[in-house]
Amino acid sequence: MQAIAPSTLLVLVPLLPLAASILTVALGRVLGSRAHVPAVAGIAGSLAVAVVLLLGVARDQAAGANGHDHAAQPVEMVTTLWQWAGVGDAAAAGDVGSAATSFSIPVALRLDPLTATLLVIITGVGLLVAIYSIGYMHHDPGYPRFFALVSAFVFSMTMLVAASNFLLVYVFWEAVGACSYLLIGFWYAKPEAAKAAKKAFLVNRVGDFGLAVATFLLWMTYGTLNFHDTLAADGSPVPGILGATRLADATGYVGGLVGTAICLLFLLAACGKSAQLPLHVWLPDAMEGPTPASSLIHAATMVTAGIYLVARTAPLFMACPGALTLVSIVGATTALMAALVGTVQNDLKRVLAYSTISQLGYMFASLGTGTLLGFTAAIFHLVTHAFFKALLFMGAGSVMHAMGGVIDMRRFGGLRRIMPITAATFLVGALALAGVAPFAGFFSKDEILAALHSRGWPNAHAEHHDAVPAGGHAAAASPFGVATLSSAAGSHVRPVAHGAAGVAPAGPLDALDSPGTWRLLFWMSLLTAGLTAFYTFRAVFMTFTGPTRVPDEAGHHAHESPPVMTIPLVILAIASAVSGWWLFSTHALAGFLASTPSFTAPAVAATATPPAFHWNLALQGTLAAAVGIVIAALGHLGRRSDGPQMERFLGPIGTLFANRFYFDQIYAALLVRPLEFVATLAALVDRYVIDGLVDAVARAPFGLGGIVRHLQSGLVQRYALAGVIGTLLIVLALVARATG
Amino acid sequence: MTPSPLVLDGLVVGAMLFALGLVGILARRNLIVMFLCAELMLQGISVSLVSWSRHHGDWGGQVLVIFVLTVAACEAAVALVFVLQAFARTGRLDAAAWQSLRESNLPRVVDHELPAVDTVPPKFPRLTPAGIEPAADEDAVLEREHV
Repeated sequence: MQAIAPSTLLVLVPLLPLAASILTVALGRVLGSRAHVPAVAGIAGSLAVAVVLLLGVARDQAAGANGHDHAAQPVEMVTTLWQWAGVGDAAAAGDVGSAATSFSIPVALRLDPLTATLLVIITGVGLLVAIYSIGYMHHDPGYPRFFALVSAFVFSMTMLVAASNFLLVYVFWEAVGACSYLLIGFWYAKPEAAKAAKKAFLVNRVGDFGLAVATFLLWMTYGTLNFHDTLAADGSPVPGILGATRLADATGYVGGLVGTAICLLFLLAACGKSAQLPLHVWLPDAMEGPTPASSLIHAATMVTAGIYLVARTAPLFMACPGALTLVSIVGATTALMAALVGTVQNDLKRVLAYSTISQLGYMFASLGTGTLLGFTAAIFHLVTHAFFKALLFMGAGSVMHAMGGVIDMRRFGGLRRIMPITAATFLVGALALAGVAPFAGFFSKDEILAALHSRGWPNAHAEHHDAVPAGGHAAAASPFGVATLSSAAGSHVRPVAHGAAGVAPAGPLDALDSPGTWRLLFWMSLLTAGLTAFYTFRAVFMTFTGPTRVPDEAGHHAHESPPVMTIPLVILAIASAVSGWWLFSTHALAGFLASTPSFTAPAVAATATPPAFHWNLALQGTLAAAVGIVIAALGHLGRRSDGPQMERFLGPIGTLFANRFYFDQIYAALLVRPLEFVATLAALVDRYVIDGLVDAVARAPFGLGGIVRHLQSGLVQRYALAGVIGTLLIVLALVARATG
Repeated sequence: MTPSPLVLDGLVVGAMLFALGLVGILARRNLIVMFLCAELMLQGISVSLVSWSRHHGDWGGQVLVIFVLTVAACEAAVALVFVLQAFARTGRLDAAAWQSLRESNLPRVVDHELPAVDTVPPKFPRLTPAGIEPAADEDAVLEREHV
C-alpha cells in the first residue's frame, strides 16, 4: 500500500464546491447575474486539485507496478477527517470475541485509481456544464439557485465516490438524489416538472431502500462498514470490507444466500440510481429539468453512481456468480429495451435519455461478466459516455435554446445551416455514441463486447490466457488462478474464489451462469449497438438535415448559441473524438484502474487478460453500427422531419415502442392505483372515523353547556338573584353543619 | 354572653336595611335606584358591624366602618359616572336596556316594551370655552396691516 502525501488536497475536492454552494445561497441576491462566479471558480479549483491527485495516484501506481512485475498492486490512501459516530465498546465487552461489533463510523475519504478517475470526470464535466449554463440559464429568475444546486451536486457526487464507508456512501447517495430532485423540479411552477421530480424521487426511493438494507446486512455479516482496514478501540485490527486484509483472504467474502442477498440489494440500489429495468421509468421524465442539469446529472455523472457501486463492491459480487450474472442480464435487457424505445421517440432529449439508459445497461452488462476486463471496460465506457453524452445533451440544449424551447424533432429541421458549430459537435457526439471508429464509443463498446464474448465463448479466448506471463497471476493469486489458467473445456473463465476452499454453498442464482446465457447477452448487446446507431443518426438527420425549418416559438432570432455555450461543446467534442483512442491505445485507463483495491482481489485479478484488440468483434460492432446508420439515412437523411415516420413500417410493435412498453401504465395499474385506493380508504377513515371521534369529544362540552346556557340572559337582576340564591345555599349549608 | 338590647336593635336595623336594599336591587330597574339600594345594603352591613363591635367591646369594627364609608363615597362617584355615561348613550336609565352580554342565541327578555327613545338629543347648556385665544377682530387686523 502506498502513502500519497497530499491528503489535504483530497478534502479540497468536495470542499470547494460546497463552499461555492453555500456562498451562492448566502449571496445569491447580491450576486444577481454574477451568481455563476463562485460555482465556476469552485468547480474549476476542484478540477485542478482532482487532476493533481490523479497524476499523484498514477505516479504511485506506476512505481508500485515496476516493483512487482505484472501483478497490480493496490494503491489507496485513506484520510479520516473525524469520527462521526462511535458506539459500543461497552456493549461489546460481554460478547466474546466481538471486538469488531463496536460500531464506529469515521468520516473517511479515500483515494484510489477508481476514485481519482471519477473525481476528474465529475469535476471536469461539471465545470463545462457550469460554464455552458452561464449562457443557457441567462435571464432565468432562478439563476443563483441553479448554480447553488449544481455546486451542491458536485460536492455530493465527489463525496459519494470518495467516501470510504458504506454509511457515508448511503448519505451522499441520498444527497445526489436530493440534488437531482431539486434540479428536475427546477421550474417548479411547471406541473410536468413537479410531477417528474416527484416521480424520480419516489422511484429512487425503492433503490435507496435496497441500499439501506444492504448496508444493514453488511454490518451484520462483516461487523464493519468501512472500506479500509481500521483499528478497534483496543488496538486490534478490524479488516474493512474492501480493505487489504480481506482482499488478500480467499475466504474473506460471504457467498451463498446472504452474499447473494447483499449483492441483489446493491443491484436494486444501482437499478434505481442508474435507471435500469425495472426502475428506469424516472429518467425519461427527468428531462423536464434544465438541459445542463440533464447533461450533468442525468447523463454524465449521477446515473453512473450505480456503476460505481457495483464496480466498487466487485469482490462481494465475485463471491456470488448468480447475482453477477443477473447484473449482466438486467443490463443487457435494459440496453435492448431502451434502444428499442429510443427508435421511435420524437423528443430530442428523450431520445438521448433512452440512449443514456441503454448505455448504462451496457455498462451493467459489462460489470456482470465478472472479469477484470469487464469491470475496467464498464468504467472506460463510463468515462467516454460522460464525454459524448454530456456533449449530446448540451448540443440538444443549444438547439432548444435557439428554437425557443421547442424540442420536438418534427417541428424543426435542417438546422446545420443555422447552427454549424452545434451541428458539427453533435455529429461528433453521435459518431462516438454510435460506436464508429475512431471515436470514443467505438473502443469502449468494443471492450464491453469483448468482455461478454469471453464469457459466451470461453475457449475462443483461452489462448489469450495462455499468453499471459505466468509470473503475473501466480504472484497475485496462486491458489485461485489455477482454474483460469487451465481453462478446462466448458469451465468458467472466472474462478470462484471460495470454490478453492471447498466450503462455499452454491448461490441461489448460480444456475443462470451458463455460456448459453452469455451468448444470448452478447447477441442482445450487438443488436443494441445497431439500434443505438440507428436512433442516434435518426435524431441527427431529423434535426440537422433536410429543408431548414424553424418553429414559430423561435421568432426571427434563430441563431447559433453564444461562445460561452459552444466552447464547452467543442472541448467535449475533442474529448469524445480522441479520448477513446488515446485511452485504448495506451491501455492507460485499464492498467491504472487495475490497481484499485477492489480489482486487486484475487478473484478479480486472476481474470486479467492482456490488452487486446478483437478484430472480429470490432468488425461485428462496426457492421451493426453501419447497418443502423444506413437504415437511418434511408429513412431520414435530407427529408422533412415532420413527414411520415419509419415506425409506420413497424405497425403494432411501433405502438408498443412509442408507449415505452407500457411500463408507466403497468406501474399505474399495479402500484399507483392500488395505493391510491388505499390512500382514499385511509382518507375516508380519517375523515369519518378519526375526525368523528374528535368532533364527538368537542361536542360533549358544547352539549353540556347548552343546559346552562339559558341562564346567561344578560339581565343584571337575574345575575344578582343567582348570587343571592347561591349565598343563601352556602349560609344554609353552614348553618346545617353547625347545628346538625 | 347575651347581647345587650341595643346591640340587638342595631343588628335588626342592619338586617332590615340589607334586606330592603336586596329587594330593591332585585326588583327595580332604574340604574340610580339600584345603585342607591346597593348603598343601602352596604350601610346595613355597616350598622351590624358597629353593633358587633360594641358587643365584643372592640373598636376594630367601627374603624372598619369608617373605612367603608370612605371607600363607598369614592365608589359612588365612579358608579354615578357609569350611570351618566349609560344614560348619555341610550337616553335611558333602565337596566333592562343593557342585555347585549346574553348568549347570542337567546331571545331578548321583554316584560313590557320599553318606551320609544326620544330621538331629539337633550339640550345641554353651552359654556363659553376657556383658555382659548379669542377670534381676532378683522378690522383691527386690517388697520394694523396698513400702518
